Amino acid sequence: MSTLTISHAQVLDPSQDLNQLSDVVIESGLIKAITPTGEPPSEQPQLNANKSLLIPGLIDLSAHINNASTEVLAAARGGITHLCTQPNSKPLIDTPANVSLLQQASEKANLSRLLPIGALTQNLEGDQLANMYSLKQAGCVALSNARAPIKNALVLRRIMEYATTHDMLIMLTAEDFDLSANGKMHEGPTANRLGLTGIAEIAETTSLAQQLLLVELTGCRVHFSQLSCGRSVDMIRQAQAQGLPITADVAIANLMFTDLDVNGFDSTFYVQPPLRSELDRQALLAGVNDGTLAICSNHSAQDIAAKKAPFAAAEPGMSILDTWLSMMLTLVHKGELELSSAINASSLLPAKILGMKEGLQLNQPANLVVVNQDTEVCYSAESMASAGKNSPVLGDILMGEVKLTLSSGREIFRA
Amino acid sequence: MTRHSDPTQVQLTADGRLKHFLTTEGLSKTLLTEILDLADSFISTQERAVKKVPLLRGKTVVNLFFENSTRTRSTFELAAKRLSADILNLDIARSATSKGETLMDTLWNLEAMYSDMFVVRHADSGAAHFIAEQVTPGVAIINAGDGRHAHPTQAMLDMLTIRRHKGTIEGQVVAIVGDILHSRVARSQIHALLTLGAKEIRVIGPATLIPKEMEDLGANIYFDFEQGLAEVDVVIMLRLQKERMSDALLPSEGEYFKLYGLTEAKLALAKPDAIVMHPGPINRGVEIDSAVADGAQSVILNQVSYGIAVRMAVMAMAMSGQVAEQQSLAAKKNESDSPQSANSGAPA
Repeated sequence: MSTLTISHAQVLDPSQDLNQLSDVVIESGLIKAITPTGEPPSEQPQLNANKSLLIPGLIDLSAHINNASTEVLAAARGGITHLCTQPNSKPLIDTPANVSLLQQASEKANLSRLLPIGALTQNLEGDQLANMYSLKQAGCVALSNARAPIKNALVLRRIMEYATTHDMLIMLTAEDFDLSANGKMHEGPTANRLGLTGIAEIAETTSLAQQLLLVELTGCRVHFSQLSCGRSVDMIRQAQAQGLPITADVAIANLMFTDLDVNGFDSTFYVQPPLRSELDRQALLAGVNDGTLAICSNHSAQDIAAKKAPFAAAEPGMSILDTWLSMMLTLVHKGELELSSAINASSLLPAKILGMKEGLQLNQPANLVVVNQDTEVCYSAESMASAGKNSPVLGDILMGEVKLTLSSGREIFRA
Repeated sequence: MTRHSDPTQVQLTADGRLKHFLTTEGLSKTLLTEILDLADSFISTQERAVKKVPLLRGKTVVNLFFENSTRTRSTFELAAKRLSADILNLDIARSATSKGETLMDTLWNLEAMYSDMFVVRHADSGAAHFIAEQVTPGVAIINAGDGRHAHPTQAMLDMLTIRRHKGTIEGQVVAIVGDILHSRVARSQIHALLTLGAKEIRVIGPATLIPKEMEDLGANIYFDFEQGLAEVDVVIMLRLQKERMSDALLPSEGEYFKLYGLTEAKLALAKPDAIVMHPGPINRGVEIDSAVADGAQSVILNQVSYGIAVRMAVMAMAMSGQVAEQQSLAAKKNESDSPQSANSGAPA
């Protein structure tokens, strides 16, 4: 049986109120002991963490993966042990056969684990239900329509009723496509100045309101993905207080950037949902800090040609996996995000949402990251493992260098 | 967490000269005035029998119109010819890109043909910025209209029109009437008017066509045409596109004319010496009554002739700035290629 001890690690797991310098013993892939550092060193192979943080592995609730082999490497480097892949991957995750293709790719790479999200509707056309139950049986952790529209409220109601019948988790985005009117960025002063079509806040909030009413009616367990408006956070809080079985997340980009970053027509900052105002960003941060929202990467690797076009003609999306943890720790360093909230939002809460064991529990698989919180890092196109170099933080000084990522006790990345 | 350089500065050389002309936003009063002064001087050359000046002799200008516009393209063509440039008209909409060649490939090919200047019209906002910044930075780019963003040469010819007819832009109250939402002309006019010292800019129209964020640009919003016309020195009417009815932004042309069409009776509410402008082509009976369009206060036809002079001015200035920048870049490159040459004296 292989054994590894990580000594002198600042172990942080808010689910157990754990925050102290400890040694972590891993045996046969499981966490066997977490004991305060200082007791006599054991004979086992050791890795001295030198007071770096040791936290539960990150669980990404939303990533778009087209090339599993490079992207799971990027995820491992970013401290991500599990990532949910949206159904609009290639091939589309809409049949059990394609689910198993993705699972095979995940096993073959043997790095961060891919958790398939199946399609809610056939071809994501929003019209007819996909074989939802078969997709769940095949191993989909949830079902979503990516960001594609669902035809109308009646189809949505039936989706929710059918999902409730078979106790499935569905993930929805909130967007009224008539109101967003093919917009390209947040509707506000910057969009008006640049002459880019705006996406109004109400495109998200009216859709969210409708979906919340349908949840109230059907009792369906719904996770709302990638919210972008401050107002939406209030609506989620209110609905949760009312007892509705809902959860929600925000993409890291919406916590870090605003519509002002689009200034200069930089297509790197073209994302769906759009980067909104500073007030929205502050409200979303507050939603993460009080535990209302999880954080997802909303990773989408694009090749250079897809981004090298006038803003509105470029492909949306950012490449995030490599830098996700460093982006969060940069927000922590700036005092905008609390460290325990960041861990909660990117690991504990996602685990709960997906029905997985959360945190660093004894006798559970050792999915964890060792990261030096205070080290400055700077990413370049060459240093990123993702095939997409469309990162919004290339050349920026970020905080937090990932030293080690373990998946079920197995080293999937070491700096 | 904004970390970009000011996008409006892309068009300037290190010492503040024009090297592209992408937007009126962010340009100084001195620079805008320089454009108007130079354009003024070209108007006098246009009145001579020999209209050509040699400022762009030996240079190749390519008209890249991704959107059709015979009028604007013709004035650029004429302006380039009067500056003695060689001009190539490329109908991109129908040629290269339909063969699967990307925008970038097309532009790189043209650059390789030793083009010195691209005049670009494109349906996407930011297209001219994109080309100037990321595709062919060594070619001077003149924005001939990008999406809803900017149409700076049209705005400058409007500034020239105001200056020639009112004496100055400073202190003028200017009303821009109609479809502000979709108008790149209005956005470019607002920036230029503010920089050149206009007293007040009013945007007039229904809420469906006036984004409230126009106030952030420095304009006052009027929904009532009559109120908005009071004390106005300059009335700029915008063209109303037919699509606005099918997009549910307006009920009908008839109702629009009733509310926002410029008639003699309404014009009487403005100052008695107010001038009436329109970037053309005009829709008689939709946004403007024929009696006003052809009336004594209308300067619409003069605008067209000033257009050539303004385009000559920005082409001459941008080319000169671009040449200077390329020379200084080449000089820097030579220095860094042979670091010892300055000190080494005799060659080894």
